[in-house]
Amino acid sequence: MKALLKKDIYVLIRQMRVFLLMIAVFAVLPGANMSVFAIVYCGMLPYTAMAYDERSKWTELASMMPYTPGDIVLSKYTLGWLAIVAATALSAAAHLILGHIMPSGYGLTLSEVLPSMCIGFIMIAITLPLMFRFGVEKGRMFFILLIIALSCGGAALAQGVLGSDGEIPAGLNALFSLGIPALAAVLTAISIPLSIVMYNRRKYA
Amino acid sequence: MNAIEIKNVSKSFGDFAIQNLNFELPKGSICGLVGENGAGKSTTIRLIMHALRPDSGEISVLGVDNRSPEFQQVKEDVGIVLDEAYFPETLNANQVGLVMADTYARWDAAVYDGFLKRFDLPPKKVFKDYSRGMTMKLAIAVALSHSPRLLILDEATSGLDPIVRDEILELFSEFTRDAEHSILISSHIVSDLEKLCDYIAFLHNGRLRFCMEKDALRDEYGIISCTKAQLAELPDEAVCGVEKSPYGARVLVKRKLVSAAFQMDRPNIEDVILFLVKGEKQA
Repeated sequence: MKALLKKDIYVLIRQMRVFLLMIAVFAVLPGANMSVFAIVYCGMLPYTAMAYDERSKWTELASMMPYTPGDIVLSKYTLGWLAIVAATALSAAAHLILGHIMPSGYGLTLSEVLPSMCIGFIMIAITLPLMFRFGVEKGRMFFILLIIALSCGGAALAQGVLGSDGEIPAGLNALFSLGIPALAAVLTAISIPLSIVMYNRRKYA
Repeated sequence: MNAIEIKNVSKSFGDFAIQNLNFELPKGSICGLVGENGAGKSTTIRLIMHALRPDSGEISVLGVDNRSPEFQQVKEDVGIVLDEAYFPETLNANQVGLVMADTYARWDAAVYDGFLKRFDLPPKKVFKDYSRGMTMKLAIAVALSHSPRLLILDEATSGLDPIVRDEILELFSEFTRDAEHSILISSHIVSDLEKLCDYIAFLHNGRLRFCMEKDALRDEYGIISCTKAQLAELPDEAVCGVEKSPYGARVLVKRKLVSAAFQMDRPNIEDVILFLVKGEKQA
């Protein structure tokens, strides 16, 4: 798996310099939304790596090399996780350091950034099995649908739960804090074996 | 022990099928898999490496069933070169080496660097800027740098100029000087295979027409140049293919079934294959 991860990192660094720079800039810009953007973009990096694999037909060669389907699948999850954790850490560090210098817009703590990180993990868990089954071209359609669903769902939820003062009730906030990481863990645990099945199905289709 | 054994393998894709393939590659030998485009050569290689599942039949590589979990370990012993190199296009040769070092347990960086120098491959030039010859040389360097016992080469010499092809064929000959080493090479450049191989397997429309020792194959057939009247005298069962011209005919015959009175030339492998394919089309 280390080899595959190394290969993806070499490819992304070379091909995606501007994109990676944008993620870093989003991560340190003021406001919670910017951090969420950075983290969501990081969640898309595995799809980009898969698209490059498909373009170079690396997938075909890799299926004849000593990589297990588990190696191939897990390397993409790991790539996404590492990128999301890096963006989260960068964002949290920026808020911590810059918050002291210019408090306006920089007040997020690590515990406030963590739900965004978990949403990134959830995105990966939901979409990667589809990418492994249908390929990146078709899989991206599912990703776009997921983003629309999450945005609409998030907006509806916010309307329903926000109090008259515009704040999330404390009890519900605590539920989110525990529920989102738990959901991310459960979906990931289901998603990885599912992706292996999907990978094999596509390989032997 | 055979390096590769294929028993009764079939695989259907609807409009094309590999049909009841039986074939053995003895250890220490080189077998050329010949056939026109679309004959099933690449499909056979994908079946051997279990990148495709057969509908029926069994395949073993270096004594291990390719469906078994142990086959994962056998892949360490197989150097694979496909018709293109298929490495991500933004990697350079140094990065390919670093990735492969974490891929193969017996990766030898010194051997790999030696091949890069021998082939004049710039280590820091990105792969997409390589010429076709350079990409194939890089793929061959990778395939040979992890101490493989079996090389599987799919059209590894096609599209290369004669000088590079000759250099690469020489390298493959060197590889099989070790009696433990074997090569399966597919190509539609029959002259390359004739130069290199001990065995020739001919695939046509998904069926294996023959798999024979190269010399035995050339001994089995003969070419007769004759008049139309003489052609009529040849026994039907001896005639495998005919090429007619206004002046007479060239005929591929089974040597044993023809009278010694006919003067016969020894065919090359390309002749045999062309006559067999033409013979089938005329039938």
